[in-house]
Amino acid sequence: MRKVITGNHAVSYGAFLSRVQVIAAYPITPQTQVVELLSEFCASGKLNAKFIKVESEHSAMSACIAASATGARAFTATSAHGLALMHEMLHWAAGARLPVVLANINRAMGPGWSVWTDQNDSLSQRDVGCIQLYCESNQEVLDTTIQAFKIAETVHLPVMVVLDAFVLSHTSEAVDIPDQELVDKFLPPFELKTKLDLETKKSYGGLTNPDHYYEIRYKIQKAHERALQVIKDVDDEFSKTFGRKYGVVEAYRCEDAKVILVTSGTITGTARVVIDKMREEGRKVGLLKQKLFRPTPLEELRTILYKAQKIAVIDRNISFGHSGVFAQEIKSALYGLAGAPPVFDYIIGIGGRDVTPDDIREIIEHTIKTEAPAEPIIWRGVRL
Amino acid sequence: MKWLEKYKPTIPRLEKESDYPESAISIAETLLNKTGTWRIFRPIYENKTPPCNNECPANEQIQKYLDLIKQNKFKEAYETIIQDNPFPSITGRVCYHPCEQVCNRKDYDEPLAIHCCERFLGDFGLKTKLFSRPQEKRKEKVAIVGSGPAGMSAAYYLGLAGFQITIYEAQPKLGGLLRYGIPSYRLPKDILDAELKKLSALQIKFKTNCKIGKDITLTQLRQEYDFVVIATGCTKSRPLDIPNEKGKGVYSGLEFLSQINSKKRPKLGKRVAIIGGGNTAIDAARVSLRLGYKPIILYRRTRAEMPAIADEINAAEVEGIPIEFLVAPVKVIRTKKGTVKGIELIKMKLGEPDASGRRRPVPIPNSNFVKKIDAILSAIGEEVDLSILPQDLKTTGWSISADNFGRTNIPNIFAIGDCVTGPKTVVEAIGAGKRVAQSIIAQVKGIELSATTNKKEIVTFSQLNPTYFEHKPRVSMPQIALTQRKRSFKEVNTGYNKTMVQEEAERCFSCGVCNKCDNCFVFCPDLSVIKNEDYEFDYDYCKGCGVCARECPRYAITMIEESKVETE
Repeated sequence: MRKVITGNHAVSYGAFLSRVQVIAAYPITPQTQVVELLSEFCASGKLNAKFIKVESEHSAMSACIAASATGARAFTATSAHGLALMHEMLHWAAGARLPVVLANINRAMGPGWSVWTDQNDSLSQRDVGCIQLYCESNQEVLDTTIQAFKIAETVHLPVMVVLDAFVLSHTSEAVDIPDQELVDKFLPPFELKTKLDLETKKSYGGLTNPDHYYEIRYKIQKAHERALQVIKDVDDEFSKTFGRKYGVVEAYRCEDAKVILVTSGTITGTARVVIDKMREEGRKVGLLKQKLFRPTPLEELRTILYKAQKIAVIDRNISFGHSGVFAQEIKSALYGLAGAPPVFDYIIGIGGRDVTPDDIREIIEHTIKTEAPAEPIIWRGVRL
Repeated sequence: MKWLEKYKPTIPRLEKESDYPESAISIAETLLNKTGTWRIFRPIYENKTPPCNNECPANEQIQKYLDLIKQNKFKEAYETIIQDNPFPSITGRVCYHPCEQVCNRKDYDEPLAIHCCERFLGDFGLKTKLFSRPQEKRKEKVAIVGSGPAGMSAAYYLGLAGFQITIYEAQPKLGGLLRYGIPSYRLPKDILDAELKKLSALQIKFKTNCKIGKDITLTQLRQEYDFVVIATGCTKSRPLDIPNEKGKGVYSGLEFLSQINSKKRPKLGKRVAIIGGGNTAIDAARVSLRLGYKPIILYRRTRAEMPAIADEINAAEVEGIPIEFLVAPVKVIRTKKGTVKGIELIKMKLGEPDASGRRRPVPIPNSNFVKKIDAILSAIGEEVDLSILPQDLKTTGWSISADNFGRTNIPNIFAIGDCVTGPKTVVEAIGAGKRVAQSIIAQVKGIELSATTNKKEIVTFSQLNPTYFEHKPRVSMPQIALTQRKRSFKEVNTGYNKTMVQEEAERCFSCGVCNKCDNCFVFCPDLSVIKNEDYEFDYDYCKGCGVCARECPRYAITMIEESKVETE
């Protein structure tokens, strides 16, 4: 069934079709609609889930952790300051190896108070141990949400589905809503092997001395390494059932490209148009969409990007005191490869400022005509 | 320690990656760690007294019957109420409900409409004819003088205990003030008659039209009966004590109501002035309106000092009866023929508080004025008729001296109700009737009567956790239309139905009394609340964190210092 829905509602439908059992959330713009629709599903009886109203995002994640620990399929959604408030519990969810799925609507952090999009909120959670997937369209949002549960439940790690504020969250597109029957087949009920219950009487997450803590942390990294393959397998299986495939990264018209542009989120959609236009003009340019941020799809990044002469990375974020986060990722991926192409880091669109096809074209042109980046950061559109 | 053996864990080998769990999980069972030893405070389940129960002059167990209503147990709820008040259909209609004034819900949104629930239960009992029978048969004879609420209540509880009872009543019918004082739009006569059937069911004998001091004397009763209970009330109206008071056109409010209630129709002029601010004044005014007169209430203080039930004052105002405050009568003005044509009044202001705690009205000099009226009903208070009492019975000078249990200076003579307290309320009379019964039963059985009951802590609003209550307005009492009220004696309030009474009972906080809401059970982070018939704490593991007590919506859990716990 095709339906015209917003990105937020695409998340809701994704969670709904995944038959989540516990939803705990606190409202925050631009996320609120996600759980609003889910609460309506719960209230009407369409969705048999416990909807827990909490007093903060910290509690929302705590409730999801507790629910997940008992073996329930748990979900929450948040944005910006809400995600920041969840920080401690994101560490916990990963450390306890619980397959909680959350959707984060990328919104700039205050102050100055902003509700518009950029990626600093989710990228600030880089090291918590949570898988992060960035989406380009409403269809991808819905599909990724369903996939997220399968990934999480296979590797026992929390998964964050990320989408841009307003550009996706509040924008409607035609979305194919899969049949429940097919989703059920793809995502069967989830069974946690060791779960919190009154019979086993075990304590979870208690004091762990230096003799054992290290090994348990080691296993989290191993899980992330394994997740890389699992995510690809889940995507493959998904495409077999539903006919749509996204990959951990997507190389778009990268064959023989001299300059490859790296994007994430909705800027990718805009960039596709620019790349098509330039290809029509006979320019040898390509696009790499990085969907998976953690774990890092190292192999894919290297294979695709190494062939280019120059790499232009668009960062709708900034790691203060350093540079754009995606550029760091790309540089680190290429490090040590002899003759690796130079990486241009373009900071643009911070705090939801519009990123137009002209902006993107200028970025590519700038990369083409510049030998090597003179500065670690190239600011685009800063009015100073 | 021996108990440790039971939980002794087997330490697994942790060598290979696969030996490790995914996340930190304890090797031993959590029961190993008896966290109860950490405790410095201990929670205990301890029911307390809800303010409503404490305030009720009849000591009704209000919280308990509201809880039973919630559970759809109407019969049990009715049986609970009549343990303390045999006539809930009466009090449900005419009580001033002090319980509602202290209801903790008043600090949240609106107090519970307890009287509406009480009335429902009373009518439920009458409809289903749940009449009590004597529990035993005794040979002692008791004479009760007066069949008002105090006498009725004493008769009921003594009848239940099996005494041989005869009620003496001066009027042709039973009920006293309930029949002759309270108008039928507030208390329909058929309700009173139905309640009186409870006394017949207890084989109580009645002698009506029998006035003490005229048809029979108290001295005679003392010889004939083992016990005499005097419950004659306040039957004398206090005069206005102003010039021209005596004569046609000036009547006592109580006498006027009594005539109306005896189906007589005394003729007044068109404009009727009612002097006073108590329930008799309001009743007289509302009755006058129904008879087609134009009543006006004249009161010497302000609305805040009016002793009448607030709801009744409101009802009078809604019906369009004007009330003039801060005026006192000075003189009745009559025509040469003696017909009342007006009343001279003086304006008042409020001065220092008097003995009753209300501010004393002080006349403003030279502020006299005349109001044209055709009749006056005085309702400034009633007094005890002391003339009928035996010489050796001790009085205060204006009423009979008796203690809380009705005991006078003469061993087998008891006195209760308004003849002891001066004009009070129906519910206080009912409470006094119950206590005199307890007093007489204790005497014949040789039991010591303790004057002070062991009172538990009374719960205040600040001790509750209102997070768990939704704001909800009280279910309003259905009433007949205003147009219907002005010309008829039809009952104004028509009563709750089952849905309404349950909806209203649901609003009860159940202050201080556990109603098994499961909050403690759900919130205990240590699984130390054990749920069987009742809840119990597992003190082996309870850390004394106090979450249960904090989250108990109704303060039924108390935290006490561990060092103060008495060891077994």
